Amino acid sequence: MKLEINGQPYEVESDGDTPLLWVIRDELGMTGTKYGCGLAQCGACSVMVDGEIVRSCVTPLDSVANRSITTIEAIQNDAIGRKVVAAWVQHQVPQCGYCQSGQVMAATALLKQNDKPTEDDIAAAMVNLCRCGTYNAIKAAVQDLSGQKV
Amino acid sequence: MNDIIRDLQVDNLQVDKDLPTGAPVNLSRRGLLVGSMGAAAGALVLGFGLPVRGARAQDAAKAVAPGTRVPAFLEIRPDNTARFLSPFVEGGQGVFTAMVQIVGEELDMDPKSFIVENAPTGSDYLVVFGKMRITGGSMSVRTSYDTMRKLGASARAMLLEAAATRLGVAADKLATEPGYVVHAASGQRIAYGDLAGDAMSLPVPAADSVTLRDPKQFRWIGKPVERLDVLDKSIGKAVYAIDLKVDGMLHAAVQHAPRLGMSVGAVRNEASVRAMKGVISVHHLPGAVAVVSERWWHAKRAVEALQVDWAEAGAKPVMDGIRVMPANFSTADFAERLANEPGDGKDAEKEGDAAAAFASAKTVVTATYHSQYLHHAQLEPPSTIARFNADGTLDVWMPNQAPEQFQADIAKRTGLDASKVNVHSPMLGGFFGRHFLYQAANPYPQAIQLAKETGRPVKVIWTREEEFLRDPMRPMAAVRFKGGLDANGMPVALEAISICEGPTEGIAGHNKDKLDETAVEGLTGKSYAIPNRRIAQIYVENPTMLAYWRSVGNSMNDFLYESFLDELADKGGKDPYELRMQLLKDNPRLSTLLKTVGEMSGGWKRGPFTAEDGTRRARGIAMASPFGSHTAAIAEVSIKAGEVVVHDVWEAIDPGSIVNPAIIEAQINSASALGVSQVLIEEAVYKNGMPVARNYDLYPILPPSRMPRVHARIIESGEKMGGIGEPGLPAVPPAVANAVSTLTGERVRRMPLSQYTFNS
Amino acid sequence: MKKLLLVLLLIIVVVGGGLLWFVNHKPGSPFETAGTLPLPSTEVLARGEAVARQADCVACHSLPDGKPYAGGLEMGTPLGAIFATNITPDKENGIGNYSLADFDRAVRHGVTPDGERLYPAMPYPSYVKMSDEDIRDLYAYFMHQVQPAAVANRASGIEWPMNMRWPLALWNAVFVPSGTYAQKPQQDAQWNRGAYLVQAAGHCGACHTPRSVTMNEKALDEGGSAFLSGALLDGWYAPSLRQDVNTGLGRWSEEDIFQFLKNGRNQHAVVFGSMAEAYNNSTQFMSDDDLKAIGHYLKSLPGDASRDGTPWVYAAAAPAQGQAGTRGTPGSATYAAKCGFCHGTDGRGRSPWIPPLAGSPASLIEHADSQINVTLNGSARVVTAGVPDAYRMPSFRQQLSDREIADVLTYVRSTWGNHGDHVTQQEVNALRQHTDPASSTPIILQMR
Repeated sequence: MKLEINGQPYEVESDGDTPLLWVIRDELGMTGTKYGCGLAQCGACSVMVDGEIVRSCVTPLDSVANRSITTIEAIQNDAIGRKVVAAWVQHQVPQCGYCQSGQVMAATALLKQNDKPTEDDIAAAMVNLCRCGTYNAIKAAVQDLSGQKV
Repeated sequence: MNDIIRDLQVDNLQVDKDLPTGAPVNLSRRGLLVGSMGAAAGALVLGFGLPVRGARAQDAAKAVAPGTRVPAFLEIRPDNTARFLSPFVEGGQGVFTAMVQIVGEELDMDPKSFIVENAPTGSDYLVVFGKMRITGGSMSVRTSYDTMRKLGASARAMLLEAAATRLGVAADKLATEPGYVVHAASGQRIAYGDLAGDAMSLPVPAADSVTLRDPKQFRWIGKPVERLDVLDKSIGKAVYAIDLKVDGMLHAAVQHAPRLGMSVGAVRNEASVRAMKGVISVHHLPGAVAVVSERWWHAKRAVEALQVDWAEAGAKPVMDGIRVMPANFSTADFAERLANEPGDGKDAEKEGDAAAAFASAKTVVTATYHSQYLHHAQLEPPSTIARFNADGTLDVWMPNQAPEQFQADIAKRTGLDASKVNVHSPMLGGFFGRHFLYQAANPYPQAIQLAKETGRPVKVIWTREEEFLRDPMRPMAAVRFKGGLDANGMPVALEAISICEGPTEGIAGHNKDKLDETAVEGLTGKSYAIPNRRIAQIYVENPTMLAYWRSVGNSMNDFLYESFLDELADKGGKDPYELRMQLLKDNPRLSTLLKTVGEMSGGWKRGPFTAEDGTRRARGIAMASPFGSHTAAIAEVSIKAGEVVVHDVWEAIDPGSIVNPAIIEAQINSASALGVSQVLIEEAVYKNGMPVARNYDLYPILPPSRMPRVHARIIESGEKMGGIGEPGLPAVPPAVANAVSTLTGERVRRMPLSQYTFNS
Repeated sequence: MKKLLLVLLLIIVVVGGGLLWFVNHKPGSPFETAGTLPLPSTEVLARGEAVARQADCVACHSLPDGKPYAGGLEMGTPLGAIFATNITPDKENGIGNYSLADFDRAVRHGVTPDGERLYPAMPYPSYVKMSDEDIRDLYAYFMHQVQPAAVANRASGIEWPMNMRWPLALWNAVFVPSGTYAQKPQQDAQWNRGAYLVQAAGHCGACHTPRSVTMNEKALDEGGSAFLSGALLDGWYAPSLRQDVNTGLGRWSEEDIFQFLKNGRNQHAVVFGSMAEAYNNSTQFMSDDDLKAIGHYLKSLPGDASRDGTPWVYAAAAPAQGQAGTRGTPGSATYAAKCGFCHGTDGRGRSPWIPPLAGSPASLIEHADSQINVTLNGSARVVTAGVPDAYRMPSFRQQLSDREIADVLTYVRSTWGNHGDHVTQQEVNALRQHTDPASSTPIILQMR
């Protein structure tokens, strides 16, 4: 099956029902996208497909054939992604960091669709779990990027 | 490009095989990306490695005190960056950054120019009280602070000495500025990187001979220095155990017996599972089956397909040190049993004459409180890579908080000499107490067995479901409280009998002649001037496996105690904040904390009151003194659609003195999140000997929508340095529970609050 | 006067005696004179096993951790719990002493050798249509392929007087058809085979046909328009299997039905709820020809447009919250956070792995029970050819309140062209109280 990840074409051999997460991590060796629950509960595996956020642990490979996938490895190739990363650094968001690939992807996807998200928009889009409780820093970083007073 | 650089770097690190630490140290090899953290991590550096060799002769000459041998910790590289091997593992608490703030301060080197990695096993790194090494108990910085300062100062002295030789001047004519030795008289300036080769072969000066920097002149200690790992963690470059790969590695997934203690009886469909796509082999392990494959997903699907007839535990345990889970175990029944366990317990703390005080008290209040089992629920599922090497050594990569303990255990299991077991400790995707040595709770014995049986390196990853089946839990407790009030409503006597098993006795074994302090901490050690007190424990062995959980005994006991204290205040007609003030009036340190948190919240206001948005709200107050620090917290709550909303948490912490206020604030946020999560929604429920929840669906952890605003303030009283990672937690659950009790008029006596029905 | 009383007494004795005889008599069996049976051939045993799969005996008579067919499944009834019995050939506890005729009477007529009436939880109103051959093969299978298990039966929790079973004989007389399935010569062989499987061993109507107040299925074959027209049972709504465009199989092809029964999934749906169990233990093991016959037969059952409503047409949802200038409802926000990652923001799912919610019968039928139930509790693992599914439905009972579940399901049922009824908090609460979360562990009931 043909995939496009981070602008590169890939030919993968996994079965069509394989979660995109494991194709990315195991077959293609990009481990920035994390496995947390395998049940779409935590969001650590978030990637973008055609600019929309998806949880790759519940995304069957055959549903993303010929679509454009962006993983955290390419986040800094994206203008908005770069800003998100800079805000993450400025607000010193990560603690253990395990969920942060997904959080950065979620924030980037949000800001690509809506460059001035309201507080409600942010709450609706930033729903990934963080066991370290970095939620306030995440919110502050996204608010900062949306031009809101923090 | 980055990966290429990383590979080169990794190759360079192979010189560490010669590192004379008493244990072979194969930190890494080509193809294995170890997460080294720091701004300099991406830099291309060649030709270092000389510095560490010189230490060998010295090492042979005499036993070295842990934390003193500079080359075991520090490499200063030609490009004037430094690599520091941390005795403590980074799992989000910021210890890598704190370590190089301390070392850098004395070495005179900007923390930004460091990369940090977890140190290999070895006696040099036993810096906790100079005799052990764990990352836990909020002990890292406070137990190694002096040692690390001296280590940095020693390194600086060695650099000065080397420069003095090179320049032909006396060392006391030289000074340093970050990264350079400076000779003011001649205007010469030599980079540390140029001196390292000479400096590191010099003898390390005696620790008490070095001069430490005057704290008034600290540039980095005490400052909100940016964390070294933030960028890498924001771009997916941080490497955790689950991400590691070694050449020729196979993947494995396991299916655990539904109840601990059971063993593999028959497997009904082994042949057809062997025939599944990608399956290399099927293995029977103690209390589990495993499938090995080239891809983890294949292994996972195949292992789930195995139809195993699990055999009940026999007389001989299937693994050492485990508890056999009874088929009828239920947490609801167990809570009932704890509450009704007869007896008065063993004294843990006794002051005055509680019995007499109760007899003469105006009012006696009794109540039974409960805490619940909790999962660690760290986001990174456990994994381990095991690799047997041709030279007879064994490499194991695994998330862990205590490498030497695992090394010893692996040596015991394999029959290898400990010196042949290399334990690697990557970054942790959260830990909260999860990664200590708990029997049957970690995948490394499985990985080692599978590597042996397949003859290849094997990485085992547990699914979230298998993790929740084997995660050892924070103990549950029932506490029978009795409080006596005088005619003025002031508490004159307090008795707390906790019926529980402490985590330490649960892990290491119960000693009937001793008391497990971790069972009662937080009931004991309270500073309130209640003249007659008795804190006791009735030991009841749990059928579950127990563990440390962030803030250990305090994680539940401060909830239990501080909630009951509010109950006493209510019965005595006292405001809970004022009562605490009165009970602490002779304790200036805690009075200050209490006053501070009151001010932070805009002045103590219990409520219920109507907020600006029209919601009815109330506030609760609680205090805790865990891990050498002291805290006071106020929480503001409302009820929305029957659910508790925590709007704000104000928390003041006095850890004595500090290293990084930004990290402390982050830790207060983090601890508050876990505390709110525990009090609102978390509970591990067992029915029929099995956990009901096997994933986050049925064991929800705090989602962003329920995170309160957190306002932290640090008070540096100058007292002995306390912990940071855990102390923020214990005061939060009771502050929330007390606020809810005030708002609803219903006394909250058990966590989580989700089991109560509240009217909006 | 005395004479009158005597006559009356006589009448009472005769009528009463007749009744007594009736409620205790054993129905006839064509096998009464069968005598000693020869040892069955492997072919007969294989056929018997296939019949056991079609009839899904294991679903009730085996427990996940128990011995095959040793009984024990608890079935809640409004009167109290009853427990499926041990049907292994154990002489003490099971059916080891049953003659073929005894077996026949139990399976097809719900009468034990003692003349006791079985509760119609045992679907003998359907099994009565099974052919003599199938009964004989099934008996051979149970007697020779199933291991005797010395597991005692559990007494029912139904109390006197409702535990008296003789009135069931009267119920049977009124509601249970007599006689095996009769071929419809005007239909082809495939249709007849499908009808036979659906009506007899498959007992599809036990869940999918609505019941009267007297608890009998309203229709037992295609002659009644209520047959397989959808019914509420035990917290799940078993949808119409008729050609209803919205709430039935109107949009499914015969191939779709075949795929669903064979693989547990197709482009429209994935088995869930009680159907997951029927699939895991029964339908996937049927022959391809039998499954195709079922699809062929079901496609012949007309829908009812007046009941089914306006045909569903997909309509794109309003943009979700998070996009500029939009405001979501509480239900849409919950959908985006909890459902959309799998079922898609467009409601189309990731078929065939994750089912669409747009246009699904559960989203269009007025009864929201199945959606409430599966949201509260998740669904059992779907095990196809021994391999558990790659994706499963989680349980949301610990994460979402009654209100939130009502809101999100109301959103689902009113978006993408869906027009099911809105869901109330009370409905969610009622199901929450008497249901449990599905196990995340695959459950495979063993037949041997």
